[in-house]
Amino acid sequence: MTASVVRGCGQLLRCPSVFCKGYLRPGFLNYAALCHQSSQPSKLPVGYVPETSLSKPPWPEVKLPDPEEEKKQNIDVVHKVNDLIATGQYGRLFAVVHFASRQWKVTNEDLILIENHIDAECGERICLEKVLLVGSENFSLIGRPLLGKDLVRVEATVIEKTECSPKVHMVFWKRHRFQKKKFIVQPQTVLRINSIEVLPNLS
Amino acid sequence: MVFLSLSRWIRSRGPDRYWRVQEVLKHARHFRGRKNRCFRLAVRSVRRAFVFATKARKAKKRIMRTLWISRIAAATREHGMKYPALIHNLLKCQVALNRKVLSDLAITEPRTFKSLASLAKRRREEGFLVALGDKGEPEGIFSRIVHSQFPDATLNPESVAA
Repeated sequence: MTASVVRGCGQLLRCPSVFCKGYLRPGFLNYAALCHQSSQPSKLPVGYVPETSLSKPPWPEVKLPDPEEEKKQNIDVVHKVNDLIATGQYGRLFAVVHFASRQWKVTNEDLILIENHIDAECGERICLEKVLLVGSENFSLIGRPLLGKDLVRVEATVIEKTECSPKVHMVFWKRHRFQKKKFIVQPQTVLRINSIEVLPNLS
Repeated sequence: MVFLSLSRWIRSRGPDRYWRVQEVLKHARHFRGRKNRCFRLAVRSVRRAFVFATKARKAKKRIMRTLWISRIAAATREHGMKYPALIHNLLKCQVALNRKVLSDLAITEPRTFKSLASLAKRRREEGFLVALGDKGEPEGIFSRIVHSQFPDATLNPESVAA
């Protein structure tokens, strides 16, 4: 008990001694106080506005184009893209598809490997409906968040259903006589992307 | 191997020690040094290897995500924006592309990535304009800056009454 009290006192005594060295010297204090009294508020010009987020926002000035003109431009762009799609003037398309809780960037003839079984037999054709983005050489259609089913159609075939090679799941705590070991085998599915089609239904 | 009593059954160590040893050595054959043939050493290194593999499978996901983020950040700066601005404004636009796809697009489809960046940029500017508001005071606040900057700004009824 006594020891702890003594130690506490030592800490209490030590802390102020650190400050005494720098700031709490009597001469220093007086000088600082005098300085503060003698200093006068500097005169600011009339109408001075300090630079704050209200007087001047921290970003460069923003100027948006005229809404009327922009509307016209947007309609033009939509017409143009619709024409491109209708006349088939696009190169190889790619799409970003959300499938098996993952997003895949796919094009025609792609093979994708899914770490799960899906509810379709080998050789069946499926339609991937969650399309987030379709792009070609001259345009890209961005979904917010998805593109409509009448706009894009991505088809795929189930090619193979297998299992992955066994992976070891091992937990080991040293000096605790604790270890767990498990072999994990997951089902896998291989899909072939057959076609990505765009229809001129952009609005 | 006859288990006449419970204590005998507990002490028995399985059918054949040889095959038990081979099961472990099978995973250690490519190791370097005596670990690839001495069971006593191999058991420990195989266990270590399995634990590392388990942890790495988890860590890979985190490492890949940081890699994608740094790639997107680099590509975004080419278009005069920073990574947080791009991601935040794409989120505001309800574009649900994840970081993996964004970094893929930045590398393989620069035109699409540019359009995404310009979309985010536009959303950002609109947000800035909304943040400035109608240059009046927020409710319940009297600001001398607003009055000195914009003398014809609409005054709050509260501040007028005060």
